[in-house]
Amino acid sequence: MRSATFLSAALAVAAAVFALALLAARNDYGYLMFAGFVVLQYVVLATAWNILGGYCGYVNFGTSAFFAMGAYTVVALHKLGGNPGRYLSGTLAEFLIPLFPLSMPSMILAGGVVSGIVGLGMGYLTLRLRGVFFAIATLALAVVLQTLVINWDFVDGSRGVSIIRPGRVSVGPVSLSYIEYLFLLMLVLAVLALWIARLIERSRLGFGFASIRDDELAAEASGVPTLRLKLIATTLSGALMGMAGAPLPYYAGYVEPSATFGLPYAVNSIAMPMIGGTTTWAGPLIGAVLLGTLQQIATVTISSVVNLLIVGLLLVVFVIAAPVGIVGLIQEFLRAAAPTRANLRSIALIAIASYCFIAGILGIIFSVQAIQAGSAAVAWLGVFGLSAGALCLAASYGLLKLQAWGPSLATVAFVSAVLVALAQIWLGGGFFQAIPIVVPAIAIWYLQTRDVKLLYRGCTQPVAA
Amino acid sequence: MSLDYLLLNAIVAGLLLGGFYAAVTVGISISFGMLDVVNIAHPAFIILGSYIAYIVNSTLGLDPILTAIIVLPAFYLLGQGVYQVFYLSFEKRGEEALRGLAFFFGLLFVTEVVLILVFGVDYRYVQASYIGPTWRIGFVDLPSGMLVPCLALDASQPCRGIDLPLRMLVPCVVALLLVASLHLVLTRTFLGRAIMAVAQDQQALRLLSVDPIRIKRIAFGISIGTAALAGACLIVIQPVEPSVGREFIGRIFAICVLGGMGSLPGTVIAAMLLGIIESFTATYYGPSWAPAVAFGFLLITLAVRPAGLLGR
Repeated sequence: MRSATFLSAALAVAAAVFALALLAARNDYGYLMFAGFVVLQYVVLATAWNILGGYCGYVNFGTSAFFAMGAYTVVALHKLGGNPGRYLSGTLAEFLIPLFPLSMPSMILAGGVVSGIVGLGMGYLTLRLRGVFFAIATLALAVVLQTLVINWDFVDGSRGVSIIRPGRVSVGPVSLSYIEYLFLLMLVLAVLALWIARLIERSRLGFGFASIRDDELAAEASGVPTLRLKLIATTLSGALMGMAGAPLPYYAGYVEPSATFGLPYAVNSIAMPMIGGTTTWAGPLIGAVLLGTLQQIATVTISSVVNLLIVGLLLVVFVIAAPVGIVGLIQEFLRAAAPTRANLRSIALIAIASYCFIAGILGIIFSVQAIQAGSAAVAWLGVFGLSAGALCLAASYGLLKLQAWGPSLATVAFVSAVLVALAQIWLGGGFFQAIPIVVPAIAIWYLQTRDVKLLYRGCTQPVAA
Repeated sequence: MSLDYLLLNAIVAGLLLGGFYAAVTVGISISFGMLDVVNIAHPAFIILGSYIAYIVNSTLGLDPILTAIIVLPAFYLLGQGVYQVFYLSFEKRGEEALRGLAFFFGLLFVTEVVLILVFGVDYRYVQASYIGPTWRIGFVDLPSGMLVPCLALDASQPCRGIDLPLRMLVPCVVALLLVASLHLVLTRTFLGRAIMAVAQDQQALRLLSVDPIRIKRIAFGISIGTAALAGACLIVIQPVEPSVGREFIGRIFAICVLGGMGSLPGTVIAAMLLGIIESFTATYYGPSWAPAVAFGFLLITLAVRPAGLLGR
C-alpha cells in the first residue's frame, strides 16, 4: 500500500471510530470518550516508544518523563495564557501576548517541541555509549525532570495544579463537548504517529534504524551515520510522547508531578509494543488497543493496582515465552501453516487463537473480581474461572506455535470456559452470556475437523474436499 | 576559633550516607559490573529485604540487621533462580540486550505492585535500640588550639559538635563490613577469583573446565543476597514504602558507573562521593533537590567519563 493510501485509509478508519464513539457515548455521560482517550494516548505512546525501542533497539525507560514534559509545557502555557501581561515584558511580549490564549493543537505542538528537544539533549549525552547506559540514563532523566518540576513554583510544584476544562468547542460546523474534542485530537495524533512509523519502516531511515538494531558496529563500519540516525529517532520519539502528554492537563483537570511522571506510563509503553510485536507499526497498535482496553476494564471491575499487575506479568511472560510479540507469532504461524498464501483454515485458527487469548485474559480479570467481591459460591466459580483463563492463554499459545498439544488443550480450555459461562447464567447472567457458549462450541467442533488435525500433525497442505 | 559545624556535619552525614549507598550498590557492582547482567530490578529486591525485615521485626521483634543475615541464604537462592530464568530465556539465545532489560523492568514493576497490593502504600518502619540515640562528638577549644573530641551520648545539649546518629552509623558500619568481606572473598578465594575471571573472559574459564554459567549463577545469587542486608539498612535509615526503590535505580547505577564497573573499592569511593554531594545539596539547597543531584551526577559521569574513577 502506498503511504498516501495508507494515510487516507487510516483517516477513514479514525473517522468511523469517532462517529461510532459519538453515537455510543451519547448515553453514558462521555465515559466511553474518557476511556477511549486513554487507549488512544497509549497508541501514540507505544508507537513513539517503538520508533526508538523497536526499530533501533534502544530501550527507553523514561517515557513518563517525555510524556510529563508535554503535559507541563501545556500547564505552563495555560498559566501564561491566563495573564500574559504579568509574566511577559519587553519587546518580546509585544509579539507574544497577542498569541494567547493558545488553541489546543498549537499547545500540543509546543509540548512536542519541548519533549523533542529533551530527547535530542538526552541522545547527545548518552547515545555514544552502549545501549544499556542509554536505558539507565533514561530512568535517571525521569527523576531529574521530576525533581525540577517539583521545585518549579510557577507550575505549583508538588502541590499539583488544577485546570478547568472549557465547556464546548466548535470544530468547523459541529459543536463538540471538550472531552469529545480531546478524543478527536488524540485520534488524529494516533493516526499521525502510525503514519510516521509506517513511513519510517519503509524508508532509508528505517533500514538505517534496523541496521543499528541488528549490529551497530557493522552499520557504523559500512557508513551508516549511526549517531545522527539515533538522534533523529530519540527526537522524533520524544516529540510524539510529548504530544501524547500535552492534552493531559485538560483531560484530567488536575496534574501533579508524581502521577504524571509515574512508572505506569513507562511500563505500558514498553509492554504494549513488546506484547504486540516490535518490528512493525501494527505491533504497538495491537498491543496498545488490547492492553489499553483490558486495563480500562480491569480498572473498572477490580482496581487500578491489579491492572498494573496484569500488565507487568503479561510483559514478563511475553518477553520470556513469545519474544516476537503477537504480530510475530501470527506471522510465524502463517509462514508455517500456509506458506504460499493465507487460506481459510489458517485464518480461522488465528481467529480461534485470538478469541482464546482475549477470553483468557477477560476470564482472569472477571475471576479476580469474583474472588474479591462475591459470595463463597461465586468465589469458587472465580477460582475455577482463573484456571480456565490460564488454560485459554496456554492453549492460544499452543495453537499459534503449532504444538501437537494445541488443539486438545484448546478443547479442554473451551469446555471449561463453557462450564463457567453456564454457571454464570445459572447464577443470573444476561444476554451476552450466550457468546462464551456459542463461540467455543463452534471452535470445539472446528478443532476436531480432519484438516486441523492434520495440520497439527505436521502436514501443512490442506486436504482437498 | 571558627569551625563551620554545618559544613562538618554535612560531610559526616554524607560519609554515613555514602557507606549505606555502598551496601546498596555492591550487588549491582557484581551483577552489572562483573557479570554484565543489567539487573535494574535490584532495588526491588532491596525493598523486598526491607519488608521482610519489617515483618519479622513487627511480629517477632527481631533486630532488622540480624533478620537480614538470617534470610540472606533465601535471597541467595532467589537470585540463583532469577539468574537461571534469565540465562535460559535470554542470555542463551543472545537476546539479553533489549528483552533482558524489559524482563528485569517487568520484574521490578511486578514486585512493586505486589508489595503495594499486600502492604498498601503506607510507610513502614522498624524498632531497634539504635534507631533513636545520637552520638555527638564535641570539639572543646583548648588554649593551645588543639581539638580534643569528646563523646557524649546526650544529644539534647545545645553543644557545638558533630552529630553521629546511630540510625545512620550502624548501617554504614554494616555496609562497610559487607563490602570489605566481599572484597576479601573476591580476591582471596578460588570462587571469588573465578567470579572476577568470568568478568574478564568466559571462554578462558571454560577452557579451565570451570562452568562459567555456574559461577555466574553463584555470583548473581551473592549479589541478590547483599540486597537483603541493604534492605535492612534502608529500613533502619528511613521508613519504606514500595515505590521508594525507584529512587535508588539512578543512584546505584551512578555509583556503579562512577566507581568503575565492578571495582569494589571504586564503588565505596564513589558512594561516599555521592553521599557527600547529596548531603551538601540537602543541607544548603533543601532535601527536595537531592534526587536530581544524584541523577545529574549519573548523566554527567556517562557523558564525561563512562569508564569511571577506577575503571578497567
